[in-house]
Amino acid sequence: MRGPRASRTRAALFTSLMTLTLLPLGCGSDSGSDAESLTLYTCVSDETIQPVITKFEADHPGTEIKLFRAPTGDLNARVAGDERSGGLRADVIWACDPLTMQGYADRDLVGGWTPSAGANIPDHYRTDDYVGAAVLYMVAVHHEDAPAPRSWSDLTGPDYDSVAVPDPNVAASALGALGYFAQEPDYGIGFYSTLKEQGAKQVSTPDDVTAGVAQGLYQAGITIANSAYLAKDAGSPIGVVWPEPGAIAIYGPIAIAKESSDSTVARDFVSYVVSEPGQQVLAKAGSYPTLPGVKGPEIPQGAPVVYPNWSQVTANKDALLDEYQQIFGG
Amino acid sequence: MQSRVAGLGQRFGVLAVGGIVGLLVVLPVLRLGYVVWTEGAASLDEVIAQGGLGRAVLNTVLLAGSVTVVAVPLGTLAALGLRRADVPARRWWRFAMLLPVLVPQFVLGYSWTQAYGRAGFTDVALGLPWPSVLGPWGVWAVLVVNTVPLAYLFAAIGLATRAEPNLERAARASGARPVSVLLDVTLPLLRPSIAAASVLTFALTMESFAIPQVMGTPAGFTTVTTTIYRDLSLGSDPRSFVEALALSLLLVALTLLVVVPADLWLGPRLRVTRVADPEGALTLNPRGQGGRWVAAGLGTYLFLGVVVPLVALLAASVTPAVGVSPSPRNWTLDNFRFVVNSRSIDALGRSMTLALMAATLLTVLGGCVAVLERRRAGRAMSSLVTITLVLPGSTLAVAMLITYGRWLGGTLTLILLAYLAKLWAFAHRPISGALDRFPPEQLQAARASGAGPLTAVRTVALRPLAPALLGAWLICFVTALHEVTMSSLLYGPGSDTLAVVALNTQELGRIGPTAALSLLLTLVMLAPAVPAWLAIRWLRTPRRLHPRRVRGAIHVG
Repeated sequence: MRGPRASRTRAALFTSLMTLTLLPLGCGSDSGSDAESLTLYTCVSDETIQPVITKFEADHPGTEIKLFRAPTGDLNARVAGDERSGGLRADVIWACDPLTMQGYADRDLVGGWTPSAGANIPDHYRTDDYVGAAVLYMVAVHHEDAPAPRSWSDLTGPDYDSVAVPDPNVAASALGALGYFAQEPDYGIGFYSTLKEQGAKQVSTPDDVTAGVAQGLYQAGITIANSAYLAKDAGSPIGVVWPEPGAIAIYGPIAIAKESSDSTVARDFVSYVVSEPGQQVLAKAGSYPTLPGVKGPEIPQGAPVVYPNWSQVTANKDALLDEYQQIFGG
Repeated sequence: MQSRVAGLGQRFGVLAVGGIVGLLVVLPVLRLGYVVWTEGAASLDEVIAQGGLGRAVLNTVLLAGSVTVVAVPLGTLAALGLRRADVPARRWWRFAMLLPVLVPQFVLGYSWTQAYGRAGFTDVALGLPWPSVLGPWGVWAVLVVNTVPLAYLFAAIGLATRAEPNLERAARASGARPVSVLLDVTLPLLRPSIAAASVLTFALTMESFAIPQVMGTPAGFTTVTTTIYRDLSLGSDPRSFVEALALSLLLVALTLLVVVPADLWLGPRLRVTRVADPEGALTLNPRGQGGRWVAAGLGTYLFLGVVVPLVALLAASVTPAVGVSPSPRNWTLDNFRFVVNSRSIDALGRSMTLALMAATLLTVLGGCVAVLERRRAGRAMSSLVTITLVLPGSTLAVAMLITYGRWLGGTLTLILLAYLAKLWAFAHRPISGALDRFPPEQLQAARASGAGPLTAVRTVALRPLAPALLGAWLICFVTALHEVTMSSLLYGPGSDTLAVVALNTQELGRIGPTAALSLLLTLVMLAPAVPAWLAIRWLRTPRRLHPRRVRGAIHVG
């Protein structure tokens, strides 16, 4: 038998609980004026983005950049969440591959403006909606104990019985490489079939390829140049090759949000990133710049570079991934 | 009149907690369902028919089932074994059993590949690689190692709060053999705790992502969560995004198929209505070498499951690059210098604050559901709060964002709400397993003797429930502290947590700094866990209240 006091006790406890639970709702951290601030969404590494922001804020006193940095998957989820809860909260998006950015442009979230400084960026790194700010190069990496491949097709030869391939379902750079090989008459999707027949293994990201080759798990692999040189410079027993017909260039585009197209500070930031000073900061931080003439991380003399046809990759993405999955599963 | 007031109180309680369940669990999930329905209804059949999904679902269910049937008995056995007084260094083992849960999942998965994989620690040092560590067996083994402490904690809490030492002594005095006492007295009393541990282990394995991603994907082993991650990775295409949400809801449906029947049918039957004074767990003083065998078993489990992988991680953290020998002449602290900076220290402060708030609120909320699920009107709540536990972190974060992002986007508050939604079942299940020792008659006696409500609760109710409350608090605190998936999607300027900084470092793709940060993260876990565990031990020790303190407790307030 329970008395009224016990009920009052329970009621008091529940009231306290409600108060405790709702109390933190008043303690949001996102406060302050937005007059001279912009929100930037990006998947570019912390090592690159922090110096660029610091320099821009120093050159534009009173300006604040609010950063959300996350891997592409989380960036996509955040943008999709924003769209369904009042609209995109970013003023500028700096993506890591054109495929992701084209998806935003197709949904009318970004684009419609590119900076005049962008005219100096090569045509294959820009569209009417966005402009390339940095490049990732897909290169070959090999263990010191394995021979250096001269061309991509060497990886399907008898010298290599364990090659690591990054998953194009996870890494957009790997999807760019898949798109390039599929489009190239001398390679085609058969390149991946032959790799698989020779014992190639699929890992998650290009970084996993680099680590696996450095550990000796694989003789060679397809990875991004930054990752390979970082490991090599730190002492990992690997070699980096820009194979024929060329390292595959995957550019990371920057674009202004449609809702912020009139924002001066957003336009200033995009212009700064693709300008010579911005590109120099970015290059010094370890990324490959898109602006010709700005010296970035290591590129061997005369190293060949090839460019996927991104509009074809975008149009054929599902078919490409289906074909790839027939080979590697997943 | 009294019963009317009591009825009103109950209704208020159900309404209040039901309101919070509605805000934190039901509304976000309904929003997800609405998005899937309005944007993806036409292509749902394609989502369900997509290549590989059937295999991923089968893998997920088999994995969850096989981890549960192994981890729960092992955890229970460990708790029962540690009741023996002849286990050498018994107190130390009780703490050490929790070590695997203090290591974040992504750290544990990663450290196992470093320890046992090809070119890993045992391969280099002993020439003994375990190639299957990448693949379903490796994923299963690490998930078992990761969930055994949870089952152990539940069983230990069950023993501390539900044990009937006098019954066991009576059975022994009447000539029952130890096995009979275990099967006929101890295990029946532990059933609610074991059931709670089973449900939670199953749900946690269903939603686990980091370990299948790190160890399963390279071998082509996919689960529903890794498929969701794949969809989100290329999800600037709206169809992939809706696919990811639809798969998350499928995961919830699969888990609820197991959890709801367990809660609605099994739960009430397992509860013991007998109320007794808390007497603490019985310490056994058996003869023979059993204690040493228990210690040897626990030692092997911890050595292979945690120590070797952490040593491999330590080796990676002091080595300048992958592929460089971890011999002393190559050791460097550069990786630690790289990751310890003002940003990570600020983030640590925020993580601590969030984890403290989340664990404290969750203990209260978990207690509320544990009380109310015993009423007819509140019976569905325990199953409801399990829904958000099963939702993959990325999807739950999206659900919170599309529900509350308009007002709370980028704030610590939104991250806190996501933690509360995700971990509510974590707090609820251990308390629920212990609650039928709550002595309402004694509470009423204290109130009738003049004790104020808080004094009555503090002096009468808290002591028997303290191990369960502290256990729930501890597990929520640790989990919130190393939560990464939701925080990395919800953070904004000035609200990045330590795990977000860790993720950013890991994104650099350098194993050394990642290993260093992982080790520091594990040490950060230990700092608050040690005093909390000592407090649990202190509370578990049965002691008689001094008569003067009892009088004081009744008359004060």
